[in-house]
Amino acid sequence: MSQTVALGQVWRRPRVVRWTLIAILVAGLEAVTRGGLIGPLTAPPPSVMVAALARIVGTAQFADDLGRTAFTIGAAFGIGFLLGVPLGVLFWRVPVVARVLEPFVVTLYAMPTLVFYPILLALMGLNAGPIITIAALMALIPIALNTMVALRGVNPVLHKLAASVNCSRPQYYRKVLVPAATPLAIPGVKLGFIYAIIGTIAMEFILASRGIGFRAGFNYRDFNIPEMYAYVLVVVFLSVSINYALGALERRIRRDML
Amino acid sequence: MAEPASRLPSADGGGDPARGVAFHSIGMTFRSERAEATQAIADVSGVIDEGRFVSVIGPSGCGKSTLLDIVGGLLEPTDGYVTILGERVTGPRRDTAMVFQEDSTLHWRTVLENVVFGLEVAKVDKTEREARARDIIKLVGLAGFEGHHPRQLSGGMKQRVAIARALVMDPRILLMDEPFGALDQQTRMFVGAELLRIWEKTRKSVLFITHDIQEAVALSDEVWVMSHRPAVIKDVIPINLGRPRSPDVIESPEFQTHTNRLWELLKVEADKTLGVGAVG
Repeated sequence: MSQTVALGQVWRRPRVVRWTLIAILVAGLEAVTRGGLIGPLTAPPPSVMVAALARIVGTAQFADDLGRTAFTIGAAFGIGFLLGVPLGVLFWRVPVVARVLEPFVVTLYAMPTLVFYPILLALMGLNAGPIITIAALMALIPIALNTMVALRGVNPVLHKLAASVNCSRPQYYRKVLVPAATPLAIPGVKLGFIYAIIGTIAMEFILASRGIGFRAGFNYRDFNIPEMYAYVLVVVFLSVSINYALGALERRIRRDML
Repeated sequence: MAEPASRLPSADGGGDPARGVAFHSIGMTFRSERAEATQAIADVSGVIDEGRFVSVIGPSGCGKSTLLDIVGGLLEPTDGYVTILGERVTGPRRDTAMVFQEDSTLHWRTVLENVVFGLEVAKVDKTEREARARDIIKLVGLAGFEGHHPRQLSGGMKQRVAIARALVMDPRILLMDEPFGALDQQTRMFVGAELLRIWEKTRKSVLFITHDIQEAVALSDEVWVMSHRPAVIKDVIPINLGRPRSPDVIESPEFQTHTNRLWELLKVEADKTLGVGAVG
């Protein structure tokens, strides 16, 4: 009886449960890798990965790779966001444009845009340009589509309310549209960010001269498995922290949501 | 007991057009490229005198809300015009405030932040707008809920937030578009009684759209009966039930007389709308 109560209380604290789960998984992986159930070429023990990461983190090369990747992701996401949001607003404001362009946008969404990477490499050279171009395109699409859907979903009575109190256009956007559209638009922004990361790391992995993805691929091909995993950990850390930051932004705009 | 007198409204007959809200032969036809043009309002004239509570009642889809949107400056009539204190309405005005049928609270704002919304848009100083909002929140009976979000409130409470948001603007004319239409019967009666109490304290001019006969009689000084499309004002029924009025008024025989008479008038219109033809 008291045990079931205690268990019920644990589930009410998801953060504790989550970290416990992670700890169990890491400990389990440590056990099976140390026990030899998983060979060192497949995955080294987590402690070895962390040790490799510790060795790498201080080096100038790591700083250079991280800087390059952060810049690429940031530029791709920034371009995708700055073009995607106005595009979504345009689709909402001018339905004709949406009707004409939507098939193209949806096709682009369904397509692995990555296949254009070699062509852009040939056109732009082995630098951040081709990666930024494709990752920005990947990020732009969910941002534009979700922005449009979110704005279309705003309750029409709020437009009437805003008009009835003589909201200026900037007031209308800032005080009504942005917060009203946030719950549906932010998932698009998050998705756009995820696509920017996936695109950047994948293209670096395929062919690049610098960057976290390139270094992970380089170590993979060189059989430096602990180092490869160390770079994978960096990618995981990047994604989680940015996703968390976006969630915090969402809660700031919409304090009523949890 | 004598039947309440009825009179047809006109811009010069009902009241002084320079003091209240005056409708000057309003007509509204909606045109679109695809569908045929629909005439929602044919010819509406009348005056809402300063400080009067006027309800407009009519069959559903008869253009009642359209009429309200025209007074609020959200729609421009295709014929005629509306004046408030003699000035022609060309857009939303500071001295009108609207309450809508649906939940129009801003869910990301607390009750207090919702109530100050209009004042904030009008750039009223923060201390002043919050002080005014707190007074109005007390008046509508939501004291203690200032920090709550709309999702934590019941439907009736959300409508009281909307009423407070309109009242805080200190409007000359309150425009209410079936404000209790989405509430259940009990909440509706309760919030209606609240509105009566608040109105007795503030005595604003009110244009109240409803399809509920009892609600119209209980609250109003005058009920305008609208015909079905294209709408005209068929009758104006003065409600002589005295002021101040308590919610108990619904138990009086005079109340019954008024509601019966309105029901007779509305039945004819409702039958037309449904295409049944008048029944005996």
